[in-house]
Amino acid sequence: MPRWLRIAVIGRNPKVTLVRAAVLAVLCFVIFKFVLLHIRVEGISMLPAYQDGSTHFVNRLAYLWHEPRRGDVVGIRFSAAVTNPPVSILQAANRLEPPHIMLLKRIIGLPGETVAFANGQVLINGEELDEPYEKLACDWNLPPEKLGPDEYFAVGDNRSMPPEYHMFGRCRRDQIVGKAIQ
Amino acid sequence: MKTVFRLILLAVLVALGVWLWFVLFPSPEKIIRQRLTELARTASFSSNEGNLARLAAAQSLAGFFATNVEVDINVPGRVRHTLVGRDEIQQAALGARERLSGLKVTFPDINITVAPDKQSALADLTVEASVSGEGDSIVQEMKITFQQTDGHWLIMRVETVRTLS
Repeated sequence: MPRWLRIAVIGRNPKVTLVRAAVLAVLCFVIFKFVLLHIRVEGISMLPAYQDGSTHFVNRLAYLWHEPRRGDVVGIRFSAAVTNPPVSILQAANRLEPPHIMLLKRIIGLPGETVAFANGQVLINGEELDEPYEKLACDWNLPPEKLGPDEYFAVGDNRSMPPEYHMFGRCRRDQIVGKAIQ
Repeated sequence: MKTVFRLILLAVLVALGVWLWFVLFPSPEKIIRQRLTELARTASFSSNEGNLARLAAAQSLAGFFATNVEVDINVPGRVRHTLVGRDEIQQAALGARERLSGLKVTFPDINITVAPDKQSALADLTVEASVSGEGDSIVQEMKITFQQTDGHWLIMRVETVRTLS
């Protein structure tokens, strides 16, 4: 093998290259296993922004410095997050493991706010919410709901079906896994 | 060198002992996880099942439940189903196996909380079920209550949970 090719492939110092490769592999594993979760959208509830079958990432560190904001698309865990301290190694390991299935919804209501739907228009504390991401016709009418201090109101962008066929409503902060990256 | 070798050997033996301990005496949480994996496997089926195999599988599935089990399936937009007792579970399983061409059930995310007396436990989990020939799978959050009866962890209650309330 010519010298230039050997340098290009394994570097000047093979030991250093090996260490770099190992560090990179560990970093990739940690990032894609625990931080940036790869998701595949199944269903039409987030149309048109998130197409059925499209793939995205959910960033678990997005809400490390600030709380979820209105308009954020978030991953919401199905099985409730357990908040009491783990009592065994198995339980601790299980807590670290990110959920395999999540709901992908948009946050429209923040803690303490009152959310309602009138003729398809979202009302936050009685005021109309501007939703540029909602492109499909909606005629929902839902009475006002006051959110608790730890609750968010999450709903899909596609509200063209009757509300009983759409999974939406309040979720607790600990159910929010992270922010979706489009 | 001899000391280092002995220390390594000791560490390996300790690790082996710990591993053996966990294999021989699994925690209730591990046993319940294994039960749930078996339950998912038993509930799943393919289209090429004979009548006898169907009956045996339905009986096997009912064996995971306590005799006085209660199952309450309440999913928005669908009819509410309530089953009481092992016999009703068996009948429902048999009916599903006759009606559907195939079913694959998995529990991808499981959280288990064992009661301090270690006689009961609550599993909060996600059920993913896909019917053969249908595109989208059904995903539902559920709560399953286990009770230890005669050394076996049996299901006492199954209920659906509204993830977004």
